[in-house]
Amino acid sequence: MKYAVAVAVCIGHNPFHTLTPKPPLVTMSFLHQCLRVLPIMGAAILLSACGGGGGSGEGNSAGTSSGIDTPALQSEQGLKYQTSVPADLDARRFLTQATFGPTEASVSELKSGTLGEWIDRQLTLPPSTPSHLDYMLTRSAEIRLTNPTGGAWNNDLTHSFWRQAIGGDDQLRQRVAFALSQIFVVSWADGCGGDNPRSLASYMDMLTANSFVKYRQLLEKVAKHPMMGCYLSHLKNRKEDLQTGRVPDENFAREIMQLFSIGLYSLNTDGTLVLDRFGQPIETYTADDVSGMAKVFTGWSFDCPNNALTDSCFWWAVDSTATNLTDPDVKTRPMVPYARFHSTSAKNFLGVTIAAQDTPDAEASMRVALDTLAKHPNVGPFIGKQLIQRLVTSNPSPAYVRRVAQRFVQTGGDLGETVKAILLDPEARDPRNDTDTTFGKPREPILKLTALIRAFDGTSDTGRYLIDPTDDAGTALAQSAYKSPSVFNFYRPGYVVPSSSSSAAGLVAPELQLMNESSAAGYVNYIRDVIDTGVGRWGISGNANRKDIQLSFHRSSTGELQSAAEDPEDLVDIVNTRLMYGTMPDYLKSDIEAAIASIDTVSPNPSAFQISDKRLRRLKSALLLTMASPEFQVQR
Amino acid sequence: MSQSPSLARRRFLQGMGALSVCGTGAPLALSLAGMGEAAAQSSSASDYKALVCIFLYGGNDSFNTVLTTDATSWGNYVATRNQAPSSIALLQAGTAPDTTSTPGSPTWLGGVRPIYPSNQPSGNSFALHPLMVNSQSLFNTQKKLAVVANMGPLEEPLTKAEYLQKTKRVPKKLFSHNDQQNTWLAMQPEGAVNGWGGKLADLFAADNSQSLFTAISASGNSVWLSGSTTRQYQISRRGVQKFGVRPADYATGQVFGSTAVAEALRHIASNERASISRHVFAKDLAANNQRALAAEGVIETHLPSETVAPFGPASRLQYQSINGGLVESDLAKQLQMVARLISMGQSLNLRRQVFFVSLSGFDSHDNQNTKHSELMAVLDHALGYFQSTIDSLGLANKVTTFTASEFGRTFTSNGDGTDHGWGAHHLVMGGAVQGGKIFGQMPQLGRMNNNDPMFDSSPDQLRNGVLLPTTSVDQFAGVLGRWFGVSQTNLNSIFPNLSRFGAGTNLSFV
Repeated sequence: MKYAVAVAVCIGHNPFHTLTPKPPLVTMSFLHQCLRVLPIMGAAILLSACGGGGGSGEGNSAGTSSGIDTPALQSEQGLKYQTSVPADLDARRFLTQATFGPTEASVSELKSGTLGEWIDRQLTLPPSTPSHLDYMLTRSAEIRLTNPTGGAWNNDLTHSFWRQAIGGDDQLRQRVAFALSQIFVVSWADGCGGDNPRSLASYMDMLTANSFVKYRQLLEKVAKHPMMGCYLSHLKNRKEDLQTGRVPDENFAREIMQLFSIGLYSLNTDGTLVLDRFGQPIETYTADDVSGMAKVFTGWSFDCPNNALTDSCFWWAVDSTATNLTDPDVKTRPMVPYARFHSTSAKNFLGVTIAAQDTPDAEASMRVALDTLAKHPNVGPFIGKQLIQRLVTSNPSPAYVRRVAQRFVQTGGDLGETVKAILLDPEARDPRNDTDTTFGKPREPILKLTALIRAFDGTSDTGRYLIDPTDDAGTALAQSAYKSPSVFNFYRPGYVVPSSSSSAAGLVAPELQLMNESSAAGYVNYIRDVIDTGVGRWGISGNANRKDIQLSFHRSSTGELQSAAEDPEDLVDIVNTRLMYGTMPDYLKSDIEAAIASIDTVSPNPSAFQISDKRLRRLKSALLLTMASPEFQVQR
Repeated sequence: MSQSPSLARRRFLQGMGALSVCGTGAPLALSLAGMGEAAAQSSSASDYKALVCIFLYGGNDSFNTVLTTDATSWGNYVATRNQAPSSIALLQAGTAPDTTSTPGSPTWLGGVRPIYPSNQPSGNSFALHPLMVNSQSLFNTQKKLAVVANMGPLEEPLTKAEYLQKTKRVPKKLFSHNDQQNTWLAMQPEGAVNGWGGKLADLFAADNSQSLFTAISASGNSVWLSGSTTRQYQISRRGVQKFGVRPADYATGQVFGSTAVAEALRHIASNERASISRHVFAKDLAANNQRALAAEGVIETHLPSETVAPFGPASRLQYQSINGGLVESDLAKQLQMVARLISMGQSLNLRRQVFFVSLSGFDSHDNQNTKHSELMAVLDHALGYFQSTIDSLGLANKVTTFTASEFGRTFTSNGDGTDHGWGAHHLVMGGAVQGGKIFGQMPQLGRMNNNDPMFDSSPDQLRNGVLLPTTSVDQFAGVLGRWFGVSQTNLNSIFPNLSRFGAGTNLSFV
């Protein structure tokens, strides 16, 4: 109910009201966060937001949905930065959260208007073209010119990911789709993705196209996609057989609850645990709920041409009534119900009963199940907090989670509006986070690479961004898009680094689950090579004279960067601005300046080549030393 | 009761005296363990021991790994698991493989492989998966392999009635992959920071000249290896790359042609900068880089080559895939690295090491025959490879290897696979192991009736035939811990639930 929610927002704005029931660690970090955010909002704003917001909220209860955009409520929901026009470094920091990294052009564009305008524009931009599937088909056709039985494969899909992520104008959509791909996980580390690149391509397109829709809509697209059906095995799942004792597959039923919607424990709107009278968390579902839900996801399989619901289509995607051939697009279309394989017995889960069906109706069963999940009070904080973790900070304050979850609920689960609330929240925008020691997140490996490429105008010679998968920890980045080791993503939202500074501070550090001694060297060495000679295959056929992606200073031996390299301070200043939005601490600046100053020409009358070589090595060294620094590797 | 400070101090000193005089007999509080339990218990340089955990990610179907083959059990097994479209009921021992059928299917595999445990009542009979040829020999002939039956996380002893009536505590978040992985390895669901491998290692790290190499994962991050003071070192199965330096520049050590840049790189990446207010994640990253750099030099000097015997040649790492052909095994590659690190541990005079390796893909909800058979082939080959390598190093009695997995699976079939379970059978291997025996209690296998999935014909099975464990992970780990040289007092501290179970019956497997 909107009014109840609005009151909760008001209470939530007073940090001290929410302290009592929290476990100690949460309380400490929460208090810390609140105390930091409080002063910048200002006492007057805080009070007026509470007073006015409460009133407004109750006004909303009368039923006008437009009321949610009143200024007071925007402020409560953290949208007060909607009308801010960012300064240069603020813009760069914002783009680090909202995109695959600031480019000089994107910084200019953002500074030319307000943050709200930029987000609104991004929310309406269509997905980059060509789609992943279209790229795949074009590439397959190209391969078949010389190899009639060949076709595009997952490396080509990885290229397509980079092309959209690095080159796309729809940066916010791309970044959010990448975040969603780490919640609604499918992977080509598994045979489902590995053997069906066309299906995977369409899943990638589906997430990209639906990054800003209503959550309920997205959940259904995910549940019905044959790639997910294969990955979590509800594709071809059949009803129980009491005679033989066969039971429905429980895989998707469990994970849609644990990972895609409500999670394991009842949550307050601020993401903290609801506790029972013994102080224990309350599990959201039991093994019986999983078994009940498993019956829902029976009877779903391929959509053959002519919608021929034959056994051969159900099992093998082969439409024996028509052409007796497999339609190549059959694994890209949503799964369809096969009534005879759908369980008709009563289905009990989460306090809901779907009565026994005289006529099996898999669509109706799924509708009830997805409606039940989508309206569960856990979804806002559960999904909202994970999106905050992917975009802004690993340990958001409960108040931040609450504001985002509220926005989620009040917009009917609108993901675009939720993302907007995440990025415009006072906690996300607080400039003092530049020096805070706990706010922010470890940068994801993929985002470190894209930050470099975008900051230094990396371009693809072929336009195809031919960077092969980067998942090898010892020699690459320990992370490759859509290639998670399991449905539990590359890292868990609750990961805590053992015996660490962050664990001592009571903080989770999801991305640091990828941190180890091997991946540390792997990352530095991979980035060193990118900085040295660019990245990617040597052309589509391997016979180009350089790697496909070249940074600006690879392409040209003269320019602003090379000139700046004459003066180590100037050079470090540029690198600091572009890669770290001005947050580089003095000790790091002086270490880097000293190291690059030592690169100098030996002869008193250096040749033009010697000067240019000195400048280039200084530039490369400054970039490597920055990116190898622990400071760069934390987004704050 | 209060006591004077001097009295308390005297008692403390008496405790210290007991340590030095009585040696192994002294019950030590865990807080004193930093002094080094190994030092208290033995001072022999030949006192080396290693534990190796092979984690089977996804939840291994142990019903198809270790089988009970007496007529009643077998009848219930076949009735339950022979379901359309793909029967996952393996065939009786002695059935010849039908090489024309689908690879991995029961008919293609042929019959299960009998094992003859010396400690089970007559009339019972047992077997291993048809592809576990090395394991069969390790069990029956070499007596270096044992089975620990129906084991899983438990909070306290629990009967089926108590479980159903909810009168006792059960582990949190049962049936959830990530949470049960953590529970198995660290006794808490996701968010756990200390595992029991690391806690065992804590007690010995002070004795290791290079404590960095006390707890090592060849398979990414594992909470099992993280102790209170022990931090895991993670190594790629392919070895170590130098931090920042191109292979072409190893001779000069330069980066971008500069020694100063190379030095700055190491400094910037790894300097603790303890006096500076710094982001906690940056501190964690710096600490990790520091360990990477510290390990690099030692490994470069001491790690034996992968190509020399007994670790290589590379052909030893190949297993026979069910899809035909010899394929390099990633698990064997990890275990090769473990064997090399054990050998390095000898040259570094290490006293204790714990290792973690893993094999993924056990979540066989569908296509189980193909998936599980291939994994059994990989596991069996790797066990054979590793034990023979350790034997060749002359360390058979010093290295104990065991399998672990987040849970077992349902006894029932969903048509071509199985769902998440709880208790499972596991394997323990090594020269110190009481091989050729089955420990713990093999469960009674029933079948589902038409009205109720709760398997009311078996006291050991829950919904869909999931096993209710009769041996807790704590008991199992306690036995390993005692072999490792940890006192009962310290074991009780590491495993807070251990005292609820007692020693357990039939658990002296090592």
